[in-house]
Amino acid sequence: MSRLLLAFCTGTCILTATPTLMTAQERSYDENALRVDEHHGTIRIVRGVSETVVAKIGVFRAVDVAALVRPSPNAVAEATVFQRNYRPGTWIASLGIATLGAAIGASRISGLNQAVPTSLTIVSVSLITYGGFKLETAHRALSKAIWWYNRDLK
Amino acid sequence: MKSRILRALLIGALVSGATAGAQTIGHAAPTVAAPGSGTTVISGRPSAASDSSHSYDAQALRFETHWGSGDIIRGAAGPVIGTVGWFRDFDVEKLVASSPQAVTEARAFKTNNFRGSLVGGIGALTLAAGTVITANSSNNAASPILIIAGAGAMVWGVQHLNAGYSRLSRAFWWYNRDLKR
Repeated sequence: MSRLLLAFCTGTCILTATPTLMTAQERSYDENALRVDEHHGTIRIVRGVSETVVAKIGVFRAVDVAALVRPSPNAVAEATVFQRNYRPGTWIASLGIATLGAAIGASRISGLNQAVPTSLTIVSVSLITYGGFKLETAHRALSKAIWWYNRDLK
Repeated sequence: MKSRILRALLIGALVSGATAGAQTIGHAAPTVAAPGSGTTVISGRPSAASDSSHSYDAQALRFETHWGSGDIIRGAAGPVIGTVGWFRDFDVEKLVASSPQAVTEARAFKTNNFRGSLVGGIGALTLAAGTVITANSSNNAASPILIIAGAGAMVWGVQHLNAGYSRLSRAFWWYNRDLKR
């Protein structure tokens, strides 16, 4: 009888130790769901109820978001769009702001051809707008990536 | 004898397998020990989210920021159901009413958004006034004060708007958590 009981317990132990259950537990919404949190100009990606910071995306600092959301293919696709647009967007927008500064400076120089500050202003506005659109695309993709990642959690 | 042992092994494996399957498929409510009480309480998700209309795919919310304002969207590419941001009033509390934690966060978002909009708006006006006075070359001592005060108020306002967006993000996190998967 005791041998029967021992066999029953062994059978139970073998299956409770399978990795399937562990994976499900590891990828639960409460512990793993991500969200974006903006703090002093830095985008932070936090995880779970405990709000552990798993990534910080600064003005010029990109993060491998695709690696963060890897278990979900749709999330990886959106994360790739984010990565393709975020850093170029910040650089182009920054270049636009610098050009705008140069345009303001040029407009104060007496005797300089008026076409110079005008051209610089047009270029700067174009750069800021283009950079802004790239950043918009990046933020939109990040929002979608996190949505997909959270969707695919248990 | 051997066949009985084998049968017991199989039964044991089947019983635990069924339990494991139920845990994986179901949305088991996590048990949380109440601090200081020594008891265990269930912090489960609301059972109201039981029909398919409350599923994550159809109902989960997210938001996308657009030049200072935020569009609230249902689903990955779903419709925009509202816009929040600078002087935009949208009843987020009502939207996430099914989740108590989400409602708390939505209320905090509303407070932060109002304060940020108000102080940021006043700051922008003050900064504009200071800039106009300076541009007119009038030798007014108040203009630098207006510019500094305006810029300061704008920074304060933007910080509150960002804090509001963080609260909104948290509200949607809780709301989506309580949806059926």
